[in-house]
Amino acid sequence: MAAAGSVTVALHVAEVLETIVSGCLGPEGRQVLCTKPTGEVLLSRDGGCLLKALHLEHPVARVMVACVSSHLRKTGDGAKTFIIFLCHLLRGLREITDKEKDSFLFENIQTCGRHWKNCCRWKFISQAFLTFQTQILDYVMDHYLSRHFLSIFSSCTKERTLCRSSLEMLLGAYFCGRVGRNNHSLMSQLMCDYVFKCTACESRFEEVLELVDDCFVELKVGVTGLPVSDSRIIAGLVLQRDFSVYCPADGDIRIVIVTETIQPLFSISGSEFPLNSEAQFQTSQFWITERTKAIVKHLQNQNVKLLLSTVKQPDLVIYCAGLNGISVVECLSSEELSLIQRVIGLAPFVLPEASSQYELSHTALAKFCKPLILRSKRFVHLGLMSTCSFAPHCIALCAPVQGLVEQHENALHGAFKMLRQAFKDLDLNCVTQTSDQSCTSGPCIYKNSRESNELPKIVNSSIQRSYQDTVVKNKGELAKTQTNLKVCSNLIVPSVKLEQNVLCSTPKVAVTDSYQTDETLRCSSPNKGRIMDDHEPFIESNSANSKPENTRREISYENLQVAKLARKDSILPLRYKSLETCTSQSYYSSSIPAGCVLPVGGNFEILLHYYLLNYAKKCQQSEQTMVSRIIANAILGVPKILYKSKKGNYSFPQVYVRALQALQTNQPMISNQTGLESVAGKYQLLTSVLQCLTNILTVDLVISIKRQPQEVYDQDSEEEL
Amino acid sequence: MDCGGLWLRGSGGTLLQQDLPAPCASLPPEVDDFSWEPPTEAETKVLQARRERQDRISRLMGDYLLRGYRMLGETCADCGTILLQDKQRKIYCVACQELDSDVDKDNPALNAQAALSQAREHQLASASEPPLSSRPAPQPPVPRPEHCEGAAAGLKAVQGPPPPAVLPNADVVACTQEALLQKLTWASAELGSSTSLETSIQLCSLIRACAEALRSLQQLQH
Repeated sequence: MAAAGSVTVALHVAEVLETIVSGCLGPEGRQVLCTKPTGEVLLSRDGGCLLKALHLEHPVARVMVACVSSHLRKTGDGAKTFIIFLCHLLRGLREITDKEKDSFLFENIQTCGRHWKNCCRWKFISQAFLTFQTQILDYVMDHYLSRHFLSIFSSCTKERTLCRSSLEMLLGAYFCGRVGRNNHSLMSQLMCDYVFKCTACESRFEEVLELVDDCFVELKVGVTGLPVSDSRIIAGLVLQRDFSVYCPADGDIRIVIVTETIQPLFSISGSEFPLNSEAQFQTSQFWITERTKAIVKHLQNQNVKLLLSTVKQPDLVIYCAGLNGISVVECLSSEELSLIQRVIGLAPFVLPEASSQYELSHTALAKFCKPLILRSKRFVHLGLMSTCSFAPHCIALCAPVQGLVEQHENALHGAFKMLRQAFKDLDLNCVTQTSDQSCTSGPCIYKNSRESNELPKIVNSSIQRSYQDTVVKNKGELAKTQTNLKVCSNLIVPSVKLEQNVLCSTPKVAVTDSYQTDETLRCSSPNKGRIMDDHEPFIESNSANSKPENTRREISYENLQVAKLARKDSILPLRYKSLETCTSQSYYSSSIPAGCVLPVGGNFEILLHYYLLNYAKKCQQSEQTMVSRIIANAILGVPKILYKSKKGNYSFPQVYVRALQALQTNQPMISNQTGLESVAGKYQLLTSVLQCLTNILTVDLVISIKRQPQEVYDQDSEEEL
Repeated sequence: MDCGGLWLRGSGGTLLQQDLPAPCASLPPEVDDFSWEPPTEAETKVLQARRERQDRISRLMGDYLLRGYRMLGETCADCGTILLQDKQRKIYCVACQELDSDVDKDNPALNAQAALSQAREHQLASASEPPLSSRPAPQPPVPRPEHCEGAAAGLKAVQGPPPPAVLPNADVVACTQEALLQKLTWASAELGSSTSLETSIQLCSLIRACAEALRSLQQLQH
């Protein structure tokens, strides 16, 4: 039975990976020494690095590591938690299905029928998980958890200002789990300073973080042989190359970027230059030399002091530039060029065709330009005058060995990604079941939830709760969000429009990797029709209406773009029935504002566990109850490992009981750990793990091949078409 | 109810209004009253042993992976564990080559013979319940007193005959005493070198059972 075997096999694989990563989880975690297949030794606490360094040929293991990698590319955090949560989910699933195993022996005699039933069962279960992710998780986050969120913004005015101490706590908690114990406070301080120095304007953090995340490789300089405490922030831009010729200059410096050689060539590719005599050759060379000198002279007349070139310039150009007091930097990479263009908005200088037209509109000013020597390596140090919200600064990371430099670089890069996610609004799609008497339109529901979210005072007074204020702003921002979420009310709308509403509402947060969701779609497509029929017992069905709805469902299936929308379609028929029955469902969109954080130490996990169990008790649908329970129990696996080494009053059961008591009596939860973690990151992690789980569950058969299949291009068929 | 009933048994979707123990719902819900019972103590022990073995395997595999071994896509034909391959391209099964050379061959979770012997003890325990009610050690379910067939045979020899109260043959008693003493010495040596909790518990119960058996043998002699 391949499908049932796949959960057991996946569980074994996940357990093996869990033993590797659980040792380095959290602030108490240790470094893990790993020998790569190439013989190199890697010492790291970074889950993503460790997983990528392992030599895994098992297909399920590779799927898991690929999911982790794609999650890290987006969020920068959570590789270890991913594996641990996935392992616990698989364990919970296997326990549940082990009990059901006996029933199969009696229900179906034929083997192939039983195998098919198993495959259907796993697809059914994975659909249930997807439904949970699209409906229940958002609802629980919005309704229950949101009242516990804190914010790292302190907004005394309309503008959101970033609170420095909260940012330090957020980054401190992040680096605690990433770098060695002696370095994490230094790294978090360094990064805090960097973020504040780079942001020229207080409210433009998102753009700055985006730029830094994209261009991180160019903004950091690694220096080996110095202690870690020598790491510092350098104002300006540091290019990882040396000057070809350097002429010191004072005052403001004009910069020109060129992407081709200044010296004209005899011939360009694709053309011919026939030489008939020696004299002609000499004349041509002379002309070339004169023209080069003229261009360089003209540059000097325009006060250009620095020439940045993406290609290698000929020696004549360098010589002329040196004579005229122009510094030259050659062989810039395309990434460095794009960074410079983003910062100062300078377009490359195009050499004019005719010798008389010299228009130098494409120049920019810089404050200084000088060589920088870091531990016997020379760099170019530019003081650019930025035209965007990013004030250019670079980080010089020092460490005794190259391995530690790389470790810190990865940690920093991940931290920027994490911050970028934390500073974005998280859009939620909520589906509620309400009775007709209390039906209100969408915005009203949202407002009501805001009024009920009175946040309690907590011990640490430096963090201000600005959730209520930011909610006010978000209602205006909701109209402008890029995703086309529509706030649908409880009114019955015609079917065509409803389908469009559903199809347009693609929350960008939940689609972490389009490749994965496409796979899920492909895997589940043969069974879609079947599974939909199976849900009839769970939805209050009116047999008279079932026939026209079947055709509607099929039509809507063809328009599906994302797999998780399949679940929404199943609820569409309910709209029609709301005329007869008393229950109806409303869709409304909500969002968690940017900067929502929670204290570290398993708070998010315990809260989600508690509210999911409450929800499961109230839930009507059985498969959702099962899924909620599995997830609620699995999610506690992470804090259990975090508190493994603590004893007595700080052990996990004590913490858990205290938290539960606080929740049941509506008191504030007291956390004895300083440090914050981003809610958006946790939410992303949950959705990524659920996506990975559905990918694994829907594998029916694994075929091993010796090598990649070759692409076969059939040109004849293309012509026929 | 076809596929929908795969997950839910019988009662059509409205089963979940029961109250769960408030904080932790690690127990799965009672689906049907008659289809699921809590595991007996023996089954719990077996489950625990299985889990511990699986944990040990996972830990060993993790260590090997960190040392540069490769995790293959195949499983071992004997035990179903995922295979590893080292740098010299040699295939290695962690369970078969490392763990099972240990005491686990007597683990009823794995070995059919050991399970058979445990079942036999069950039978004996239920059959000879009245006369042995004062002797907790030979009752098989709670600990696993036997460590191998020899001790099981010895205990059976002791448990079997009491009602007829026939004077046993002196040779048989001497042989049995010999065997029991041998077992005792062996078990105490193993106990000294054992590192696993489960194994130590088993060894202690074996020693206790041997001692009890010796005492009852001596009572028989006198």
